[in-house]
Amino acid sequence: MLMDPALGRVIERCRDGDRDAFEEVVDRYGLQLLRTARLILRDQALAEDAVQETFLRAWQRIGSLRDEDPGPWLNRIAMNESISAYRRRHRFQALTERFGRLGGGKHQVSSEARLDLAQALDQLSAEQRAAVALHYYQDLSVEETAKALKVPVDTMKSRLKTALRRLRDLTGSEEISA
Amino acid sequence: MSDDFEKNLRDHLHHEAEEIREFPRRLRGRIREGIAPRARAHMAPQLALAGALVLVAFAVLAVRSPQVILNDVRSTVTQIFTTPSPSPTPQPFICSDRSGGTTGLPGQLTGIRVAHHAEAPGFDRIVFDFSGGIPSYDLTRQQSPTFVKDASGQSVTLDGSAGIKLIFRDADVQAVADDQKPSLPAVREIAQLGNFERVLSYGIGLSSSQCVRVLELSSPSRLVVDVITSAAASASPAPTPLPTVPEATDLGPFSCQDRGGGSDTGPAMLLTDARVAHQVAGYDRIVFQFAPPPGAAAHLPAYTVSRQASTKFVKDPSGMEVTMRGSSGLRIVFHGASGADSYTKSRDITPGLPVVQEIEQIGDFEAVLSWGAGLSRSSCIRTLELSNPTRLVIDVQTP
Repeated sequence: MLMDPALGRVIERCRDGDRDAFEEVVDRYGLQLLRTARLILRDQALAEDAVQETFLRAWQRIGSLRDEDPGPWLNRIAMNESISAYRRRHRFQALTERFGRLGGGKHQVSSEARLDLAQALDQLSAEQRAAVALHYYQDLSVEETAKALKVPVDTMKSRLKTALRRLRDLTGSEEISA
Repeated sequence: MSDDFEKNLRDHLHHEAEEIREFPRRLRGRIREGIAPRARAHMAPQLALAGALVLVAFAVLAVRSPQVILNDVRSTVTQIFTTPSPSPTPQPFICSDRSGGTTGLPGQLTGIRVAHHAEAPGFDRIVFDFSGGIPSYDLTRQQSPTFVKDASGQSVTLDGSAGIKLIFRDADVQAVADDQKPSLPAVREIAQLGNFERVLSYGIGLSSSQCVRVLELSSPSRLVVDVITSAAASASPAPTPLPTVPEATDLGPFSCQDRGGGSDTGPAMLLTDARVAHQVAGYDRIVFQFAPPPGAAAHLPAYTVSRQASTKFVKDPSGMEVTMRGSSGLRIVFHGASGADSYTKSRDITPGLPVVQEIEQIGDFEAVLSWGAGLSRSSCIRTLELSNPTRLVIDVQTP
């Protein structure tokens, strides 16, 4: 995606080391990145850490940004940081979940145990939540979501389908046939 | 395939995301500190060299006069440490609000100096001197020279026709005049607006709305606000000018991202007007105008403007679905606002502009006011927060 000329000038100033210009980039993209990171990490402090790290990396690598919109580029860095942060924080939890899956089989939720959407989102993996956040919150296409998360399009389709099925399962929602 | 579940999921994610109403100031400060040059790191080679020289000096003391050696070392070390640090990189003048300083760092304002600098492009410089570092600050540009004094809530109008408000947090002031009128080309008056609970605020009256440059300097700590005096150079200059400068650049760029701002403090603001019109500069403009309830100070309520790929909205609190004209939409939500008793015009406007096809109120409940906009195409947006009267302006880019 091509940049609008005004934004191009801001990025050019960033490349020249202009920190004020970079703060304009933070102002422009920060809120949406933070909201997306919060949707993935389910934790405000972790989300802020991930967004801080995103912008620090972006500042270090701003020279590698060519004539493209910085939004998707920042999104890619933020997704990477968010998922890494979640893994670091939940390493032990992930281990227990993995063992649970090996021994358990598909988790069925009884009608009494149906969760609301917020609780159901908590149950997804960070990768699934990232896919859901980009596709349903940022309104990115499947192709754009796949690119942001650096996976093939077919993998992304499958990931979204699995995430949606799990959310339906957890909330007890019926799938409507096409 | 999209069904109600996916729609609910989308709405839920937007609702959850909008719980973060603005980008936290502390996070902005952390990022600023993270990208700032490390002064100590820059000094490291000089310190190492000084140390080495001292060692060498002592090693040769046995063969030379001690006094001569001491003089040599002293002069060398003095020379190293008195080498002036590089002057700050010239910054461009920017037509937008600024924040900065160090969150949590207490500062004492010890002086305000102001003078005109004639060298190109010509600017008036205001220097705020601090002891103990530059505290967290917000600089806000405004279209009028009228300010509201902290604590009392009284209005005060300074000399000039536009203004800048500067708020320092965790700061106090010592022996600084409350009001000065330098009558320079741009800066006409500087007056203290408040000094309460370690929040220190100043209003600056300007001859006209101008772009500013803000510099944070050290040794001694000082915040420098340069107000450009040359109208021709008031747009933000770029190091490598490009031939295509869009009209109204100084209003800020359009962005294809959601926007947010305002503040959710004080009593709910009252919506008094919602209007929409096409601007020849290449955008459709939606304006929401607010007034404070009697006895309260005006502020723009916290808001979010979210872009969406459809023109379907869910009314709050009925949950009924409404589909507006067009093919994509904007969802505008104000927290701490209502139009129930103050807004008397149509709550469904169909102007049929190049992009904005319809705007409609979709909720006004528990001081959460929501409007939707149906657009003929997915467009980038720009928001402007204006005062006197308090307005949120949403510019929607047209082809």
